[in-house]
Amino acid sequence: MTSVQFDWKKTSNSVALPVNNNYSDCAAKLNDDILISNIRWFIIFRWGIIGALILIHVIAILTPDTLIQFRTIEENNWPIIITLILGIANLLYIYALNYCKPSKFNTPSINLWSQIIVDLICLSVVVHFIGSTATPAPFFYILHIALACIFFSTLESLLVALIVSGMYTIVLLIEFSFTGQFSTTITVDPAVAQNGKTINHMLFWMIALDVLFFTVWYLVSRLSLVVRAHEHQLAEAYKRINQAQHEKDQYAVLMTHQLKSPLDAIRSKINLIKGGYCGEVPQEIKETLLKIDRRATNMAGLILDLLRLQRLKETCSCNADNKPVDIRKTIQKCIDKLTPVINNKGIIFNVSIDHLIYNGIPDQVEILMENIIANAITYSYENGSVEITSNLNKQNNSATLTIADHGIGIENDDLPNIFNEYFYSPRAALHNKATSGIGLSIVKIAAENNHLNINVTSEPDKGTAFTIIFPEVQFSETVRKAEPNEIMDNPLQQQ
Amino acid sequence: MTKRIAHVDDDPDIRDAVARILEKNGYEVEHYLTMKDFIASLEHGGTPPDLAILDVMVESMDAGLTAYAEIQKNHPYIQTIFLTSLGDMIRPYFDKESDKWVCVMEKPVEPENLLSVVEDRFAHSANK
Repeated sequence: MTSVQFDWKKTSNSVALPVNNNYSDCAAKLNDDILISNIRWFIIFRWGIIGALILIHVIAILTPDTLIQFRTIEENNWPIIITLILGIANLLYIYALNYCKPSKFNTPSINLWSQIIVDLICLSVVVHFIGSTATPAPFFYILHIALACIFFSTLESLLVALIVSGMYTIVLLIEFSFTGQFSTTITVDPAVAQNGKTINHMLFWMIALDVLFFTVWYLVSRLSLVVRAHEHQLAEAYKRINQAQHEKDQYAVLMTHQLKSPLDAIRSKINLIKGGYCGEVPQEIKETLLKIDRRATNMAGLILDLLRLQRLKETCSCNADNKPVDIRKTIQKCIDKLTPVINNKGIIFNVSIDHLIYNGIPDQVEILMENIIANAITYSYENGSVEITSNLNKQNNSATLTIADHGIGIENDDLPNIFNEYFYSPRAALHNKATSGIGLSIVKIAAENNHLNINVTSEPDKGTAFTIIFPEVQFSETVRKAEPNEIMDNPLQQQ
Repeated sequence: MTKRIAHVDDDPDIRDAVARILEKNGYEVEHYLTMKDFIASLEHGGTPPDLAILDVMVESMDAGLTAYAEIQKNHPYIQTIFLTSLGDMIRPYFDKESDKWVCVMEKPVEPENLLSVVEDRFAHSANK
């Protein structure tokens, strides 16, 4: 005996969105991919700083008087040394990121830590030389605290804030304890210049900036946590949407199968009778069976078209896999597929198209062409003809493909509505009882997903022409145009 | 020698239709209700068929695809045809490589089509 216990309790993952504001899950640092993209951004930013430092050197060499009032490069070569250090360090970061194998000692986190520490040391040297209390230079420390809050976990960013505080304190102590030995190059603050540097002055700056550093750390790290929490929620929501989409597709497939299977069984039996596998059958019954078969065929077509439509609606052009599509080959494939229908109606195809390549979603471009060609066949009169031609515009690399029939055409009032999913034309339905009626809705969605426009011209009882406008195509000058009746190696062409 | 064809489908009417068509045209047909039965028959050392006609959604949504993968792995010499209500709509479930050579037929069973595809598969295996 087998016993199975069923449990339909929902997992914690199925909760819609976190209801509390507990950000502890998000306090961890960013994943490596995001860190690497941040490293690259940080490196580019540093190149900007290096560029600015080089510009200062150039200005100083060309017009030394302009910088005299700041006296930034007088007597000391620190700006050149700092520029060199930053430049070499930047090259090393790039080398470690792009050319060294990731290892225990070469991780994005270590790379970022190295960048921040080297930057802080360089900044401390700059602050020391241009004045730790007399210029806004110490405020650049805040930038590193903010970056650490973005890149690292809360604790790590706190560590950066402590290092910043420590470094600034050391700079202050050096400056105020050994004023005689280490000269600062800028003395802008008149109070300092007149009264000298006092211990109180140093303490004031140390406390004020430390409070500022830790306030900035608190605010930015808090903000960073909130942003990360929202990012986390978004990622979770995106995951759930994908899951729901997948389940929806499975449900649609299951429903399609369940609806179509009985029809397939009925039609299989009818085919057995039609093929003589059940013995001789009176003509009247055969004719009745053909009618049943036709209706069942229509219904089966509608069921599959609905699944097709559903799948097309789910594919948005942003996440689709675009590939080069050979338009001529696609047309050939469509005509091959439709051969039985073409044969039944005795339609002649005249095809003259260029060798065009369009970057689109191959399956969908095929569905679009197949539906338009099927439409042309369906609404043609018996023994009619369909023309497929292309027109290239080499100036802007665009092209058009026209599929024209000489069939029943479309009434002027109906024409604006033909791509509407819920549009029904009794006149068209009277001519053709075998289609699902949603073929052009499928065309519309496939066109939207592939950035194609369609122009339709029609005249009742004269025919209809669908012109597909390709905004950008590649074409080959060397490949000649397929001549009428030559393209497909198709027996139909000889009709 | 008479070619042996295994047909797996949970719909008795489809099984009957396929058997009638193939047997009348000189093939020997064994049919199975589930993929599990068919795979079990292969594992128990019975003479493997020359060709397998598989439905896709039998016990589960993708039982046919799973069985196909197993046949390809353990019995690659068995030719395979998918006969499914969904026709080409199942192609997205194949990876791009196998998509090129997997043979998919849409139900209903049409005698001429079925015979032509079966013959084509046998010709394909003879050319290998």
